Amino acid sequence: MSRDLKLFVVDTGPLITLAAAQSLDYLLFINVDVIIPDAVLHEATFDAARLGAQDIIEWVKAHRASIEIAPTKVYEIFDAARSTIPNLREPDLGERAAVEVIEEPDRLHGNERGLLLCEETAVLKRVVVRDRDRIVELSTLDFLRILEAEQRIQSAEQVFELAAQAGRTASRVEKLREHNEGARIAIRGLVKRREPSSER
Amino acid sequence: MIAKEKQALEAYSRGEMTALELRRRLGGATYGEVLRLLSEEGLPLPRAPTAGREEQIARARAWMFPKHVA
Repeated sequence: MSRDLKLFVVDTGPLITLAAAQSLDYLLFINVDVIIPDAVLHEATFDAARLGAQDIIEWVKAHRASIEIAPTKVYEIFDAARSTIPNLREPDLGERAAVEVIEEPDRLHGNERGLLLCEETAVLKRVVVRDRDRIVELSTLDFLRILEAEQRIQSAEQVFELAAQAGRTASRVEKLREHNEGARIAIRGLVKRREPSSER
Repeated sequence: MIAKEKQALEAYSRGEMTALELRRRLGGATYGEVLRLLSEEGLPLPRAPTAGREEQIARARAWMFPKHVA
């Protein structure tokens, strides 16, 4: 990507809302690297029957050149624990992984800046933002409204309405639980461990 | 859905509760389930208020679309 800007998707809300509205590609409209912590992807997709889950996995696979699934210690430990406790759940797993990724000292280089896309300002309260001049948090609706103002999409509100409509019909897709293991394997395949010696 | 859960869902919809707190109160629901429950109850998705954040949203817009930088 050409610009010194990175888009961090730091909780599941934006992914699920946009997937439900069939609008995940909007995240790519600004032509920057998109970074999703592994545990956030896990939370959004761990049950393939969940609203938007399959779409999110397919979307990430289709855009691997633009999307980095950032590995975290938090998720690594969780994933290891799941081998002995298959039904293990940690509701704040994604949040903790997001904090870990955002706080990585080498995440932003030189003049690079970061947009943190989330529904949860609570996530950001846990982050020690080193340089507020270089990092800005946005909600999904903020992001969509900017795209609308730039005439890249027709209507931010329409996206939310589409997501709400999908929510009303979500029960029809809750028949794919056997795909759970497949989703887990898919996430493993998408996560690329960062090797210190090969970064950049 | 029990009354307490519905109250929590309504509070979330009004932007008075975080999704994480709501998900905890719903017994570990996923965000997708939250979206479904909002729809079932006819409640809108919460809208983050922009008041007080105009400067940071404008800055984000300038970063996303640099031609707007004065």
